[in-house]
Amino acid sequence: MRQHHFLFALLAFSLIAPPVFAHAIGGRDAAFVQATVGADPFPFLYLGAKHMVTGYDHLLFLLGVIFFLYRMKDILLYVTLFSLGHSTTLILGVLFDLGVSSHLVDMVIGLSVCWKAFDNLGGFARLGWQPDNRIIVGGFGLIHGLGLATKLQALGLNKQGLLENLIAFNIGVEIGQVIALSLILVVMTLWRTTKSFGRFAVAANALLFLAGVVLAGEQMAGYFFAGDI
Amino acid sequence: MSEEQQIKPVALNVSGKTLAMITGGGLVGGALIVLGAIMPAEFNVDPLGIGKLTGIGRLWAPPEVTIDTNSASGPLARDHATAPRTDVIEIPLTDFLGGAKGSELEYKVGMKAGDTLIYEWEAIGATSENDIAFDFHGHTRPEAGKEMTVASYKQGRGLSQKGSLTAPFDGIQGWQFSNFAEGPVVIRVKLTGFYELVPAGEEGNLAGIIANVPASEARPGLTP
Repeated sequence: MRQHHFLFALLAFSLIAPPVFAHAIGGRDAAFVQATVGADPFPFLYLGAKHMVTGYDHLLFLLGVIFFLYRMKDILLYVTLFSLGHSTTLILGVLFDLGVSSHLVDMVIGLSVCWKAFDNLGGFARLGWQPDNRIIVGGFGLIHGLGLATKLQALGLNKQGLLENLIAFNIGVEIGQVIALSLILVVMTLWRTTKSFGRFAVAANALLFLAGVVLAGEQMAGYFFAGDI
Repeated sequence: MSEEQQIKPVALNVSGKTLAMITGGGLVGGALIVLGAIMPAEFNVDPLGIGKLTGIGRLWAPPEVTIDTNSASGPLARDHATAPRTDVIEIPLTDFLGGAKGSELEYKVGMKAGDTLIYEWEAIGATSENDIAFDFHGHTRPEAGKEMTVASYKQGRGLSQKGSLTAPFDGIQGWQFSNFAEGPVVIRVKLTGFYELVPAGEEGNLAGIIANVPASEARPGLTP
């Protein structure tokens, strides 16, 4: 009966945590990335996994995606689609120097949380327009990857060993995703078996929607007011 | 009914009214959180005034860049179009029991880069060197989205200071005074040079100190 507390804690955290936590590479990690010359796979593997496990906007989106997925087959399908999108833009974005404002990308990530919550509430069904979830999840994957590519470029990565490091980082991202997803899945599975799931599913998705609005609004404000720092 | 059937639905199917309430409430509530709390605290932008009302806005501080204050280059002599000004500022501080609001404050003046002032301050009513802590420093005016340049000139304890300052950048320069004595004190600051006073309530004179009046009239907000 207590599983939903975790969910609310997660949502509450997303509302109060400073924006620097979301999907950013900061502090000593940033210094490390800047100083690296040549292939250095394991540290990048770790950073990729850390990025995923501590990126709460990302985690909220995953939570929304698997909210009503019960079969392992479905979960694997959506996670693979998301990973494909994420990996494609992350690697291509850095290699070809593609980038957009990370605030704009993170704003779309916030909107992706709203979108999924709205979908979970049956909103699209009610509007009589049901987009193909596979395309949407893959598309959001592309955008999530682009956001990180932009941030990695801003750190001034060394060209030597770049591809190896990117691939290592990306594998780390997938490992982190599996870890995060397993934790969310365990909690969700336990929660679904309780009576409280039916009662709180609407409230949880309403909170997800709210959290998405806050994340998007925060990034919009950052885009206009944060300047270059 | 088995467990499997109970957990069948692929999505919820809430009524149109509930859906409208959730999305509408989410948009309005989210906008309130962003406009009222996140923007004042993270970006120093306060469209609803909630940041000022609740004090959340005080959480905002720009990243700082500290400059070296022991070496500088510039002309040794400067001409000014305006006359130098002279002010005597009497700053009353409560004893330490008065809390930070009464026993500590910051007083700064606005200066342009390269302009010079001569200062002399003394603590009246304090007896021990340890009674008064001061932090003589300056910084650029804080602005959202910009780093703030900071210069730290001297920190210490004592009952007076005499000297001169040439401002390293456009901004505000001055002192944070803290009274640790058991009785109230008055800090009398005498300034001469090229600077301007900061209006009451603005950064550098948030306590609203009035210059050139006796200490008893200089700090209207303070109830002794």
